[in-house]
Parts: sequence; C-alpha cells; structure tokens
Amino acid sequence: MIITEQKPLDEILAILEGHESVFLVGCPICATTWGTGGEPQLRQMKAALEAAGKRCVGTLMPEESTCDQRTTRLMLRRSKEALEQADAVLVLACGAGTQTVAALVDVPTYPANNTLYLARLQSLMVSDERCRLCGECVLAETGGICPVTLCAKGLANGPCGGYRDGKCEVDGTQDCAWVLIYRRLHELGQEERFQVIREPKDWSKARHPRLIDKRLEGEKGESTKGGAQPAPSPGPSQREGKRKGGEA
Amino acid sequence: MKSGSHLEKVLTAGHFAVTAELGPPKGGDAGVIRHGAAMLKDVCDALNVTDNQTAVVRMSSVAACAILKQEGVDPVLQMTCRDRNRLAIQSDILGASALGIRNILCLTGDHQKFGNHPTAKNVHDIDSIQLVQMVKRMRDERKFDCGEEIQGELPFFIGAAANPFADPYEFRPIRLAKKVKAGADFIQSQAVFNVEKFRDYMARVRDMGLLEKVYFLAGVIPVKSVGMIRYMKESVAGLDIPDELVRRMENAEKAREEGVRICVELIQQIREIPGVRGVHIMAVAWESIVPRIVEEAGLLPRPVASTGPTQGE
Repeated sequence: MIITEQKPLDEILAILEGHESVFLVGCPICATTWGTGGEPQLRQMKAALEAAGKRCVGTLMPEESTCDQRTTRLMLRRSKEALEQADAVLVLACGAGTQTVAALVDVPTYPANNTLYLARLQSLMVSDERCRLCGECVLAETGGICPVTLCAKGLANGPCGGYRDGKCEVDGTQDCAWVLIYRRLHELGQEERFQVIREPKDWSKARHPRLIDKRLEGEKGESTKGGAQPAPSPGPSQREGKRKGGEA
Repeated sequence: MKSGSHLEKVLTAGHFAVTAELGPPKGGDAGVIRHGAAMLKDVCDALNVTDNQTAVVRMSSVAACAILKQEGVDPVLQMTCRDRNRLAIQSDILGASALGIRNILCLTGDHQKFGNHPTAKNVHDIDSIQLVQMVKRMRDERKFDCGEEIQGELPFFIGAAANPFADPYEFRPIRLAKKVKAGADFIQSQAVFNVEKFRDYMARVRDMGLLEKVYFLAGVIPVKSVGMIRYMKESVAGLDIPDELVRRMENAEKAREEGVRICVELIQQIREIPGVRGVHIMAVAWESIVPRIVEEAGLLPRPVASTGPTQGE
C-alpha cells in the first residue's frame, strides 16, 4: 500500500491561491484505506475549502485506483460538466494518482497529499515502510526482511555500530534491521547466508523514471526496464554535464 | 575582487580570457597533470579540471587542481553534484580553498549511466543552481548550507555552465538568468559550432541584461577527425553542428589540420560577438593541440604570466 499524508490546510490554501472553483478527486484504494483520500476526507476537504471562501464544484471517487488511467479517464469524462466550472483540481491521492489526473484535465491540478512510502498495513492506525522499489530484491538472502528499506543506511552486510538497546540510533523507536535479519536467519537455520559478502548493489535497476511496455517484450528479447532508451556508448566528446545537452 | 584568482584578474582587467580543459588521468600518477600544466600554462589563463567526466572515474578534481597550483597554473575546480551530497561538497570546497584553489565551476554532472559505473547510485542531493547559491553564501555570508558560521574566508570565483543550443532553445537564456541570479560570476558555455545561432543567443542574453552581471566564456571543441564530428552531430544532444562543418571535415585532405582551422575560425568569429569575454577550449583527449590553436587564433601572448602565486594566498 502507498501511504500518504494530507498536507497542512494552510499549504493547500496557499497552493490554491488565485483559484475560486475547485474540483476534488479521491482514491478508492490506498488513500481510502489509510484515510487520506476517501469519501470522508473528500467531504472534510470540501467543507474546509468552502469555509475558506472557495467554491467546490464537484467531487469524484474513481471506481478503481485513481492511478489507473483507464477508469479515471472515463470517470473524469462523466464529470465533464462539473469540471468545466473548475479552475483547479485538487487530488487526495498519491503522487501517481495526482499525475494521472493532471494529465487528463485542462486546468491546473494540485496534490492535497504528500506521498510517503510503500507499506505493510498493520492496522488502520499503523503502517510501516517495507519496500523501496530498488528493483533487485534481496529478501531471499535476508530472511524476508529488507535491509535496503529497514536499515537507515541501507547496509548490505550487517549492522553498523549504531545499535543501542536493540534499536537503531537514528530512530530509537525502530529495531535494527540487521539484528532482526540475523535472528530470523538463525530461526530459519540459514545463518550461513549472513556470512556471504554482498557486492555493491546494481542501482541501475532503480534508475528513474522507470517504464515497462509489455508490448515490446519479445521484440528485443527482453522487456524495457529502467529507462526506455538504450544506453548510447559514451564517446570522446561527452564530458561533464555541459557536453550532453546538460547545462549541467 | 571576489577571489583574486588569475582568471578573475584577467577578466576584470578587460582582457579576452582563454581557458582550457584538462581531463585528469585514470590513474594515480601526478606526472600526467604536471605534463598538462607544462604544456598549457603559458597559453591559457586558467585550466579547468573535470570531475569524473562522463561519469568515468578519474583522479579527483581537487587533487589534480592542487597539483596544477604547484605548477603555477590557476585551476578551475569542476564540481558536480552527482557523486557528493551537500556535506561532501562543502567539505571539498573548504579543502579546495585551503589548497589555494580560487575558481570553481558548478555542474550537475553527467548521469552515471553514461560512465564506467552504470550500476552506481547517483547523489544529486542538490543541483547546479543550488550549488552556485551554496558557494556564494559560503563566500559572501560565510555560512554553511545549514546556516552555521564558517570561520575564515572562502574567496572563490564562481562559475556555471550554459548551453546555448540545447532544446528547447527559447528556454536557454532563462535558465542562464537563473544561474546568474544564484550568484555565478562567470559562465563557460557548451561548445559553439553554429555561430549564427550563438550570436542570436548572445543577443537575447544581452537584452536580458545578463552580460553586465557575468563574464561569458564561449566553449569550443577542436575536432580531430571526421568520425568525431559525425558522432557529435548525430549522438551528442545539446550540440548544434552545421552540415557545412561536417562536409569540410569530410573533404579535407588532412582532417586534423581542417579541425584546427575550423576551431581557429570559430574562435575568431566568436570573439567578434559583443559580450563574449573569453573562450574555453575543450580539447577532448587532444590537449596538445591547444597551444597551436591559441597561437593561430591570435590570442598570444596571454596578458600576464600565468605562473606565480595569485593574491590572497
């Protein structure tokens, strides 16, 4: 699940400065479950904006996840009349949902939320980050506990010295990922996995922006991943940022 | 005088400046840098040292600049944001100052994908405009990025890059304005091949009043071969190479000679454009040609000897 938090109302009002008529969009999946973009939050936002002198010309809760362009496009079409009165759209979803909407409407589209992390939902009150989408899953070697995410330094070969009373010195409320991993590997009879020196990670798998076009699979014998275009071989003329387009 | 660097003195005295680029070695031998210094110190006012250019690991720019200082050359420290966060950048700036380095060129840095460690993680904690601003605050307000005070002076002449040719073309002067606003004292541009387009760009930059606030040095690249100019035309984004120049290289009896001629002509044409205060020669893996180009372009002798210590050290 993608965890979001609502921006402070002051910030939202500052973003909406100069706009009078606002159309609101929520998200029925993550943001509804986590309480940052469900029907109750749409109602609260509408009331808050009206109290601040804005006009709320309509609200939309897509039937599928707001980041699913297919349904969101259809549903925005159905809201055409209300949207025509809007001079801004405010989206109570994650960054992906907001950008999906922004690309489908003609007026400025703004985020009501900050997007925080990909989480395990422990309860409706507690969620914790579980995955950093690094593109090269190490969970097979680490007892199903992700050090890329759960270690504040993302260490690959065990804990640093900043371990105090079972907790990480960076955040005293958090367990040390590597102590958890070590104990879990012990329970699983896989301690030997801890002995393996893990080489530096292939961060090219996490190179953003990532895009996959399954239609291209098979054409080149592989899917497109981690950047759509093939890497040009660096030539003699490419040096420093200045060289390649980059004003660096 | 903000830094007292030789480059700054040459520019403030109204001379047409000459800088060149020196790529550090893919090894730990100081001799390569000393050799480059001996070759170039009398033909340019300052030498830029690239910072892991094209994301290929090379000797650190700070170290290579320190060696240049020992050799009596005024170095321009190229600093990218790809490999360092704001802690490392500021600490390297302090170290560079301690070593007597007085010029810094603030760059974003090529993506690691194009280099020899494509699986590396990049940093980009800050971008080039933020870096310019950071160095300016360190110098003028004596403050770290966090607001804490810095002891002592950090006299840097602050540079930034500009690309007059990258798409979208209309946007380029606006981005330059942002760098000037952030605090750039001098600009070293992407290589100019299309003089007409560059003239138009400079006119727009001049109309925006930017040239009263910043010294603009135009970049040039001497082209060594037909293959190189074709490659740059086809594959390097942000370069604008007229077909005529490609044809000249193709038809030349000796491609290298033609490359030198073209470069010299470009410098002479660029020099006539109002507001251009110097030229920055990026002789990619062909540094040995720089003395000849500078001489044939009529830029010798350089205003004052580039040897000897600069003020403020």
